[in-house]
Amino acid sequence: MAHGLNVYKADGSLGFSTADVTWQTVAQFTVAANATVANTYSEIAGMTVIAQRQLVNVPPNAQEDYVPNVAVSNNSQTITVSPQSGLSSSQCIIHVLAQDT
Amino acid sequence: MAYGFEAKNDSGNIIINDTIENLHFIGKATRGSADSAYGDIPNYSGSNDTLDGRVVHTYTITCSGTPVAFIKPADYARWHSIIKQSVSGTTWTFEVMISGTSTSNPPDVYCFVNADDIPTPSETHGMLVFKSDGTSKTFDSRRQPLAITGGGTASAPPSDPTNTSGTPGTTSGHPWNYATNDHDFRSSNRYTEHSNSAANTSTAMFSCPSLAQACYKRQMHGFHQSCICYIFGWCACGYQDHWSTASWWVMYRQAFRFRSGKFDSGWTGYAAGYAFSSAYESGGWFGGGGGSYSSGTMPYTAKTINLQSNAYILADSSRYD
Repeated sequence: MAHGLNVYKADGSLGFSTADVTWQTVAQFTVAANATVANTYSEIAGMTVIAQRQLVNVPPNAQEDYVPNVAVSNNSQTITVSPQSGLSSSQCIIHVLAQDT
Repeated sequence: MAYGFEAKNDSGNIIINDTIENLHFIGKATRGSADSAYGDIPNYSGSNDTLDGRVVHTYTITCSGTPVAFIKPADYARWHSIIKQSVSGTTWTFEVMISGTSTSNPPDVYCFVNADDIPTPSETHGMLVFKSDGTSKTFDSRRQPLAITGGGTASAPPSDPTNTSGTPGTTSGHPWNYATNDHDFRSSNRYTEHSNSAANTSTAMFSCPSLAQACYKRQMHGFHQSCICYIFGWCACGYQDHWSTASWWVMYRQAFRFRSGKFDSGWTGYAAGYAFSSAYESGGWFGGGGGSYSSGTMPYTAKTINLQSNAYILADSSRYD
């Protein structure tokens, strides 16, 4: 490349460069069963944000495990996690990722 | 910015800065036990006995942060998903379900953690970027940063996870002791596809937790009424009723599959069972008991839950080998 940044692995091969695209990690937090949580991250204002949900410690064959809803609002700065309407929710890991687009 | 560090990619988008942490590769999770089951409906033989089967592999990795896990299939024809993630101290455990019953060709689980929580590398050279507090890292070139190749929104799979059109239900009016399943509980053609140029069947890996679940049952009630005794061709002693119930159930979890240029969101059966009961009312001298049999308990009443879309991320595993 004419200019930019290359990061090489120990064996000399290219590992990462400014030709790449990535998701940066903003936060990870665990939401308790049936809880509602709203977290705001001012540093990701205007970015593309995704929040992955992973159920935790759930016996996968013994109960109805409802995943909570996730909403991104406030110019992508606020992540709100809440139970689905009328349903209890299971404990869940939320992984917030952001991408400058 | 007045000071700090910022690197933009060829599109002018920030990929490293001093405020948001990058994800870095910390290694592949260690594979442990495997549980293979449900190539067919337990304790039943007959029509529509065959299921897709599933293997649950257990993986562990130790790290102080919360890992983002990518599944790299070894057999791209099979469906894969992380169905459970738990932590004890700093040891994370993943249960990865794949379709089929063969424990050969298990997938690899590549784990990425935020820069500040990566294990301290032994290398003494590299580039580190810190936040304004001067101690929290956002980037560390000594551990390979995550570069993605694609992704998007994975739509939920079809609500009905079963190959036979329409979800199974309960019917009556069958002959007594009738137990022939007429519903194909396999899921091989039940998926939602997503076109993505980064999807391939050689080095692609994905991160997308399994959200949707489903549980469905086919149930058949049988009935027969017999005459207890005849006198001159006339049913003189009343009638005796016979009842039977046969039921087959399967529980499903959302799973994913790569094809060339496609990322599919579908289903794999996680558990299954069969129950049969038969009884008849007392018939005096001719009476007697009934019988019953069951395997497993259906975890909840028939329904599909968590039918929601979820973000998926694709990356090239060969960069981290």
